[in-house]
Amino acid sequence: MEATPPQDAVRPPAGLWELYWGFLSIGARSFGGVLPWAHRVMVEERRWIAPADFAEVLALCQFLPGPNVGNVSIVLGRRWFGPAGAAAAFLGLMALPLVWVFALALLYADHAASHGVRAVVTGVGVAGGGLFIGTAWKLARPLAQKPWALALAAGCLGVIAFGRVSLFLVLPVAALVGVAAARKDLL
Amino acid sequence: MWQIAFYFALLSLVSVGGIPSVMPEMQRLVVDVQGWMSAAEFTQIFAIAQAAPGPNVLVTALVGWKVAGIPGGLAALAAFCMPAAALSYAVGGFWDRMRDAPWRKAIQRALVPITVGFVASGGYVLATPMGVDWRAASIASASAVAIAATRANPLWFLSAGGLAGYFLF
Repeated sequence: MEATPPQDAVRPPAGLWELYWGFLSIGARSFGGVLPWAHRVMVEERRWIAPADFAEVLALCQFLPGPNVGNVSIVLGRRWFGPAGAAAAFLGLMALPLVWVFALALLYADHAASHGVRAVVTGVGVAGGGLFIGTAWKLARPLAQKPWALALAAGCLGVIAFGRVSLFLVLPVAALVGVAAARKDLL
Repeated sequence: MWQIAFYFALLSLVSVGGIPSVMPEMQRLVVDVQGWMSAAEFTQIFAIAQAAPGPNVLVTALVGWKVAGIPGGLAALAAFCMPAAALSYAVGGFWDRMRDAPWRKAIQRALVPITVGFVASGGYVLATPMGVDWRAASIASASAVAIAATRANPLWFLSAGGLAGYFLF
């Protein structure tokens, strides 16, 4: 019988250079969001990590403060190659997008005097704000049957968006209320 | 430049849920408290970061750039990433071992509605650069419905927003 390698064989990157290139290719292609590309490159193309493992790392990184995929690069880089791996993965992820975003910003600065250019960019920004609202809506769907959770979300929205209260005040208070409610099974 | 770096380092530690969560606070500081730019300029900077490929954390680099040039941009990005990165680095293994601890589950459940409130606030702040305005409200509502109801690449909705902005603003 012919020996075929198992389809789900996971093979972590062989060295720092491969790790850096992998994250560079994630950053380079990430138009419209990094996460789908992070999944495609690491789980599907290069098979560095199993799908379930990736999902767990991502859940942790969404919970931690900071940029989600940036945290993924730190956690996985560290797992494979220690501090050097964390640095290589993070720098690979950021390198090209940073160059592009500055190039775009400089280009915009040259044309910001034009009313049409400003109108288009404002439209994009407002639409981006709308995307946040839609995303919050999607995140809130599992909470539909939990009135306390909805009240907490609405309270945060009210004091931050309309009351303009600082996040540094809102987060600790909301976290205390939330954990107390979660312990009583209200969330 | 040091001021913005210091502030972004603090912001890093409360950014549960990532960049969308801290957009309202960042805008409050940059526009209301420090007056480094107008609300309209802030929304435009955010737009550039959204339109470019890459992690949305790059908006911090653009805010820093607007305040203190390219060195300011690099400083702001590094300041925002480092504290959170150090935390991820430290917590990576520990969190997995605590998978079934009751306190971990309570924190996780508590953070879901809080994140919802923060992200919605970020959207509201970005979508109202000129105060409440019917044109901005229509563009924002359309893209909110689009992302909630479809699975298309968000770049389409941003492009549509740009086109609508050209004719409306």
